[in-house]
Amino acid sequence: MPNMKLDFLKELANIGTGHATTALSQMLNGRLFQLVVPDAQMLPFTEAATYMGGLEQVVVGIFVVISGDAKGYMACVHPLESALVLVRLLTGEDKEEIDELGRSALQEMGNIMVTSFLNALAQMTDLLLVPSVPGLAVDMAGAVWESILAGAEVTHEVTVIRTRFSTEGESIEGHIIFLPDEEAFAKIALQLGLEEL
Amino acid sequence: MAEVFVNMGQISSAKQSGILTTVGLGSCIGVTLHDDKAKVGVMGHIFLPRSRPNDPDAPPGKYADTGIPAMIDEALRLGASKSRLQAKLAGGANLFPNLNLHSASIGQQNIEAVTALLKQHGVPIVGQDVAGNHGRKMRFFVETGVVTVTAIGKDPVQI
Repeated sequence: MPNMKLDFLKELANIGTGHATTALSQMLNGRLFQLVVPDAQMLPFTEAATYMGGLEQVVVGIFVVISGDAKGYMACVHPLESALVLVRLLTGEDKEEIDELGRSALQEMGNIMVTSFLNALAQMTDLLLVPSVPGLAVDMAGAVWESILAGAEVTHEVTVIRTRFSTEGESIEGHIIFLPDEEAFAKIALQLGLEEL
Repeated sequence: MAEVFVNMGQISSAKQSGILTTVGLGSCIGVTLHDDKAKVGVMGHIFLPRSRPNDPDAPPGKYADTGIPAMIDEALRLGASKSRLQAKLAGGANLFPNLNLHSASIGQQNIEAVTALLKQHGVPIVGQDVAGNHGRKMRFFVETGVVTVTAIGKDPVQI
């Protein structure tokens, strides 16, 4: 039932992303973040490779391992320009590249977004979901993306949620990627009474 | 000169001339096979070291254990001689070193698997730019066998 699975994942993603964005708004001192309804897709492995588009484009990738009652991975990938806007909003410093301060600000942001995404999911399912310290890479999109897929040992399909949000006229783009492993997926579905998935 | 882009999990080849390129190697490993006499070149972009029983429809180039034999077969099909084949490697990096996902990083596992398989098939590795914590782009000039590796903020390397 791939469509039901996708709808279910989309719903989880919508809720999680909503929470994550709210957390980000709070982190930015209540500056209003408008979230454009995210677009979720389930991609077969062969298409996942090229999904990010410009493979040589520089991106910032944040990667988190989830442990606890259900295992999985989460990642956020932002184009460099969007990441620089985020760094400026978070630190007040306007830079042309991601320096140490920028890295730690983005890591902290990733931490908060992932934690709030997982909290939303945990509340719905009563499962304990524990994120690791986030890993952060600033590199070619292709290299970041395939390292995420390989790290999560994704071999079949991947669910990707593309988000776009804006604040005071500045648009920030990003991808939020949620990769529960098969067992975790079944557990979450079961907790939500969706045994037929 | 024709340039062919090799995506994750794919194997591509060329004869006489042409450029085989793969962009965005992170933990994946790019492998080239070259027969200088027959002017045959094959490139693979390998994702993980070992094939999975639950992924029977995977393209052979996705995993090292199926990809290396498939690359050798492809080179032979184009007229290469196995005894003349030479290999070069790029990639196998660990972009998230603080995560310690696995005892050995996926990148390291890929390097080890590919190295062992090439040895097993008697194909020497004549150049490599592997490991570290950064992504790479690999371009393979089939006529000469030259491979260039570029990375963000680093000088290009010829292997």
